[in-house]
Amino acid sequence: MTRGLLYKAIFIICIVCFAVMLILPTIGENTLQIVLSQTSTEQDLQTIKQRFPESKYKIVINNKEVLVEGYNLNVAVMNEIKRYPGVVDAKLLPHWAEKALLAKKINLGLDLQGGSYLVLQANYHKIEEKTGKPLTNAEKNEITEQALELLRNRVDKFGVAEPSIRPKGNDAIEIQLPGVKDPESVKKAIGTTGRVEYRLVDDTYTQKANQWLKEHFAGKPLPEDQLELNKLADTIKTAIALPDSLELLYYYERNPQTAKLFPAYPIVLEKKVALAGNDISKAWVAPDEYQQLAVHFNTTPEGAAKFAEVTSEKNHGKKLAIVIDDKVRSAPSIRVQINTGQAIIQGDFTYEEVTALARIIKEGALPVDLKIIEERTVGPTLGIDSIQSGVKAFIVGIAGIMLFMLIYYKFAGLIADIGLLLNGIFMLALLSWLGFTLTLPGIAGFILTMGMAVDANVIIYERIKEELRTGKTPRAAVAQGFERAFWTIFDSNITTLLSAFVLSQFGTGPIKGFAVTLSIGIISSMFVALYITKFIFETITTRGSLKKLSI
Amino acid sequence: MEKIIPFIRYRFIAYAITITLIVIFSLQTYRNGGFNWGIDFVGGIKLTVKFEQGVDTAQIRKVLTQNKISAVIQQVGKEEDNEYLISTKLASRAENVEESTKELKAVIQSNFKNVEILSIETVGPAIGDFLKKSAGKLIALSIIIMTLYLAFRFELKYSIGAMVALVHDVILSVLFCGFAGIEINIPIVAAILTIYGYSVNDTIIIFDRVRENLQIKTKQTFIDVIDKSITQTISRTLLTALTTLFAVFALYMISGEGLNEFASVLLFGIVIGTYSSMYLASPFVLYWEKLTLKKA
Repeated sequence: MTRGLLYKAIFIICIVCFAVMLILPTIGENTLQIVLSQTSTEQDLQTIKQRFPESKYKIVINNKEVLVEGYNLNVAVMNEIKRYPGVVDAKLLPHWAEKALLAKKINLGLDLQGGSYLVLQANYHKIEEKTGKPLTNAEKNEITEQALELLRNRVDKFGVAEPSIRPKGNDAIEIQLPGVKDPESVKKAIGTTGRVEYRLVDDTYTQKANQWLKEHFAGKPLPEDQLELNKLADTIKTAIALPDSLELLYYYERNPQTAKLFPAYPIVLEKKVALAGNDISKAWVAPDEYQQLAVHFNTTPEGAAKFAEVTSEKNHGKKLAIVIDDKVRSAPSIRVQINTGQAIIQGDFTYEEVTALARIIKEGALPVDLKIIEERTVGPTLGIDSIQSGVKAFIVGIAGIMLFMLIYYKFAGLIADIGLLLNGIFMLALLSWLGFTLTLPGIAGFILTMGMAVDANVIIYERIKEELRTGKTPRAAVAQGFERAFWTIFDSNITTLLSAFVLSQFGTGPIKGFAVTLSIGIISSMFVALYITKFIFETITTRGSLKKLSI
Repeated sequence: MEKIIPFIRYRFIAYAITITLIVIFSLQTYRNGGFNWGIDFVGGIKLTVKFEQGVDTAQIRKVLTQNKISAVIQQVGKEEDNEYLISTKLASRAENVEESTKELKAVIQSNFKNVEILSIETVGPAIGDFLKKSAGKLIALSIIIMTLYLAFRFELKYSIGAMVALVHDVILSVLFCGFAGIEINIPIVAAILTIYGYSVNDTIIIFDRVRENLQIKTKQTFIDVIDKSITQTISRTLLTALTTLFAVFALYMISGEGLNEFASVLLFGIVIGTYSSMYLASPFVLYWEKLTLKKA
């Protein structure tokens, strides 16, 4: 072996090892950690045990914590378990390769793991009827943003981990909920409009609550889970002896990176609603007299009287909380009495904060109601069936191809088969590394590319055969064959890549998955055929003694 | 030297085959009542429901008809699972799909015991319009991209030939769906776009060889060179089609409802794509050449 070939060999071995490690979290066993509540019964535990039969899973029970080890444990299963009685939390523990290599598990599409995909649109028609004029695109966009703000506020009500909520185009919202069998509860949370209220803050008790938290919770972040938050609220209430006229809620802030809301601190409000959401007629964002961004709003004529009362002398210095769906999102201080019904909220806001606040106020003034215009829900059993039949089709297909190559090309066929297996490993590795989502059409793409992957080998081998026929030595024929086939393979693969690219522009998830696996398959098959199998052939033919090539 | 097959001479047989296929497919599509557009494009509801043993298509149909719901009912999956696909299309654009879905579910759940709804798909008219528009746009876009790429890598005459073969494949694939009563939905559009890429792939291999053979100065005519190139590459063309067919056939046999029709369109398309790149693409390169030579 020459030095050049040796380096190549080392490089190839490294790449293969890396790829294998990358796919370990996907194909290997995973661990699900289930935390039971202190009050959970023996029966709750039995339900969980039944869900994970011992023949397939290993279960370790440690007081109120259950560890389940086995295959097919994914986010959908996690969400399913979370809704079991007596379960406080369920979490997938990261695989060791995930920690060590930043490897990620292959995301399964909703069609494979089960779940619900919804596209919502605001009922523009209703709003147009109310205002009596058609909405412009900018107005539609703003209404969609307002609805988006509302939905982000309600994520916890969906009862699922990792929901994805994002705008789709200019005038619709797309929601993906893994593991939700029947999205009725979600639809209910979506279907109702936001309840916005304005209530006075009680500073004394707010301080007490935070003081207690500081002493007993020592700087830890508040839990994100709604149930735990409620429990904590009850504990604080008893500890600080909260009077009946007051209520303890949480002040929510938004993570600037993920746009997710999280509870920042407890805040105590008067139970009495000072101003209802629909007492406001209009809200917008504009600079104030100091050129700082601020929220401006107008009240309705009825609202103006209430607002004058709230902002009267006795309340100066107090805060007025803006509450949406029982979450406090802002609490500006009252400085002057406002009789005109025109007010302004000033502060050191970022653009995101100020627009979010304006949208919340608008939601109270003119609630947006949403309708579902597209729904695709797949139950978990159907998903598992799809994976199983996909894997079977994959094995049968690949076995047929490998057998054919072996019979037709003999030894060279064996090399192509090794290449094919490597190609499969690389594809899985790339899929998990780049964090793509595998869907049912994605599996089809996977199988299709396996059929197309040997394409490159066939082109090269046919070329080598032709060269051999002209009387060249195996070594020269191999070199010529690879060289001449290169551009042919390149051109033909580029066109398939182009059509995959066009496909990926097709918005819906499953087809995107198909396009992605197709592209990844083409790229990795080119690498395998033009680099790895070439290397194997070079290694064989440099051993001078070779007189005849088995091809 | 191996025997050269005179592909170009046989071109009229190929035209005859193509025209016959188009006629037969069109007639059968007409008899089937036109194309079967899926809910992705026209809007509607699709439910997969698991019923108790003993419930059959007739019973489901009876219940639905009693409730004035017109639906297509089809058994899917394994026999013993007793699962059915129930799909309805939008009656009018004003129909509220969310309400209709609720209603359909309620009808099924109240008339049958122990039903399990395995999947729900609901597509409103706005989404249907959007998907239809984008499918058309994507097909046009990929024709343009392929043509440009071929014109860039080869010459214009080759890209014309490839385009004829492509359009041929697409027309036949779509007609095949009508012929076989396959529901045209988004996965089917994806299959057709994949056939595109695959067919061009084959055509390129042949043209690549034509270009290479043209550089060898001989007395051969252009027709001879084309015949020789197709003959030289035929084993590779057939072999790669065969390996891909292995994969797609496995998919077709095993994959179940989700991908069955998708695989059958791919299966047809790969065969037709292989045929068109051997028999149709090259004659049109010749025609183009003749046409431009006359003008010049």
